[in-house]
Amino acid sequence: MLAQLVRWSRIKSPWVLHLNTGACNACDIEVLASLMPRFDLERFGVQLKGTPRHADVIICTGPVTRQTKDRIIRVYEQVPDPKFVVAVGACAMSGCVYRGMYNVIGGIDQVIPVNAYIPGCPVRPDAFIDGVVKLLGSL
Amino acid sequence: MEEFTVPIGPQHPALKEPISLRMTFDGEVVKHVDVRLGYNHRGMEKMAEERSYIQNLYLTERICGICSHSHTTCFAQGVEKLMEIEPPKRGLYIRTLVAEIERVHSHLLWLGVAGHEAGFDTFFMYTWRDREIVMDILESISGNRVHYAINTFGGVRRDISEAQKQTILDSLGLLKQRTEYYTNIGTTEPTFVARIKGVGKLSKELALSLCAVGPTVRASGIKSDVRKDDPYAVYNEIPFEVCTADTGDVFGRVVVRVNELFECYKMIEFMLKNLPVGDIVVKAPRRVKENEVVSRYEAPRGENLHYIKSNGTDKPERLKVRAPTLANYPATVEMLKGCFIADIPLIFAAIDPCICCAERMVELVNVKNGEASVVSFGDLKKLASEQYKKCGNKPEPVSIAKQLEKIRRKS
Amino acid sequence: MNEEKIITTIKENLKDKVLELTNPSPRRIFLKVDKNNLCEAISMIKEKLGFTYLITITGLDKTDSFELLYHFADDTNVINIRVSISRENPIVSTVTGVIPGAILYEREIQDMFGIKVENIPDPRPLITPDDWPEGAYPLRKDWKYERPGETIPGGK
Repeated sequence: MLAQLVRWSRIKSPWVLHLNTGACNACDIEVLASLMPRFDLERFGVQLKGTPRHADVIICTGPVTRQTKDRIIRVYEQVPDPKFVVAVGACAMSGCVYRGMYNVIGGIDQVIPVNAYIPGCPVRPDAFIDGVVKLLGSL
Repeated sequence: MEEFTVPIGPQHPALKEPISLRMTFDGEVVKHVDVRLGYNHRGMEKMAEERSYIQNLYLTERICGICSHSHTTCFAQGVEKLMEIEPPKRGLYIRTLVAEIERVHSHLLWLGVAGHEAGFDTFFMYTWRDREIVMDILESISGNRVHYAINTFGGVRRDISEAQKQTILDSLGLLKQRTEYYTNIGTTEPTFVARIKGVGKLSKELALSLCAVGPTVRASGIKSDVRKDDPYAVYNEIPFEVCTADTGDVFGRVVVRVNELFECYKMIEFMLKNLPVGDIVVKAPRRVKENEVVSRYEAPRGENLHYIKSNGTDKPERLKVRAPTLANYPATVEMLKGCFIADIPLIFAAIDPCICCAERMVELVNVKNGEASVVSFGDLKKLASEQYKKCGNKPEPVSIAKQLEKIRRKS
Repeated sequence: MNEEKIITTIKENLKDKVLELTNPSPRRIFLKVDKNNLCEAISMIKEKLGFTYLITITGLDKTDSFELLYHFADDTNVINIRVSISRENPIVSTVTGVIPGAILYEREIQDMFGIKVENIPDPRPLITPDDWPEGAYPLRKDWKYERPGETIPGGK
């Protein structure tokens, strides 16, 4: 009974933290746009949060740069369990055009475990919503 | 009185770019700001030397997601000069058209964020709703919402049909009507104006000496716009005004951007009505003769500069990119000095360094001996409650350093 | 102000300090001076010609030497001041005394090329990460980056 309640509340109100790890802003504005009136991700209970301590899901955009690597691990540790990581965009998946540059380590999965990948350069809001819904469906 | 140094950033959800700011406060007034970049540094200039020109075109597009067209245009027109080819008129018109539509999207985005920072979220939602109209136009022209990839060497990749022209003109009418409403709110709504007037002052002399660019410098009353000063593409054929304001504060920047929106609508209409017939692209060679070029472009945030040096192969010898935001950092630091904590988000506008949740560590700098000590949040809380108990209602200054030492001795 | 007038003014004021002065395309002027005369040239074009706005500083590695380009703009024209710096002794004096806004670009040059800027008010690294090795300057031509191998989670 309690487990069911926990599962239900987890699915109905995933609070997200948006983490830019060195992206070019394109994915970031598309993530924001999907929370805006046209696409309105908030109808699924998704809410953008300001601090890792309030969040359930980390939305990572961009390749991991050398300077942000430690910060990502720190933010990941601050998020309470159970936590999920969504890699948004081609850069967060593999590094995209930045792959092989001296200051880029690669995709998010080189640093922290990732639960869902959403491809696209940049990710369209529709794709983003689809990815979030699929992640919630897998719970 | 001790000064507080608070690190803000580099990770924050509303922070567009990961940037770290170290601010020193005296009470509630900002004394000193230190900017640390490099969180978003990817090493593009080095990579550009190892890729061919056409690959670099797509690399430069990914410098920035909001003004992606500005960098490709700047790069493409530089390389076209090196290749000694002249794109056809229709191609240039479409290129400029996309540039102006992009400016509309960027300014609407900025307006919304400015409203958000001032605590006016309705405005934020409204402008972002209408931004979607612009995104639809861009998608219909280029096929993608953000990275348009419409530029190629020698012209553009896609043509505009008559039907598309009509749709753009129709949605432009709607946008105009809505923007008039926002202008009315943004420049006359008393609560909003009271929040943004007089905040983040930048005098004309300071703006000049710190080499600020774009709407920031135009809001300080300097008529500087690359489109007028150093016309590229077809800007010498299109009638438009350079918008300025003389207040030099956040209000001035709102006014400049709103007025620029109307200029953009006028230009888009003009370009659509006077679109020449003909080809959109000419063939470009793969190799480029040894030469160098300085290419300038007026992006929505200010001036872009690309310096390209070629060496006779299909790869550039050196590509230097100067984006407008970097030029505005010294000016922003000056604007922040002497302002209140509550004004920081507004002045940074797009970058929102929320003090309460940005970091859980505060550094205390003892001004007398300059030693820094890191205090955890728990310690600070303890300190605060002890201090409250001690002075009751009277805001009596108690030396924080002394208190800290006490705590440390205990633990 | 047109290009000819700028060129004659530069020639009148700097005389034999001008090493090279070209005007390859409209509104673009390239001026070459010795690095010891850099500050003088900059204050000259600032005061006499009104070029107050420094766009950026570009560094170039020409394998045997370095080159710095200071891009200045007024209302219409761009003057690019070129300075050559030897590879063995890469030192240049700061221009922040004349142009305070140059500080970020000079710090960038220090990070990327290892060219020491003398008397710079704030010499800390700006762009390179905190754990960046000493003596590695990414934009030098002889600096190569070896990408370490990646492990793909869940892959083979």
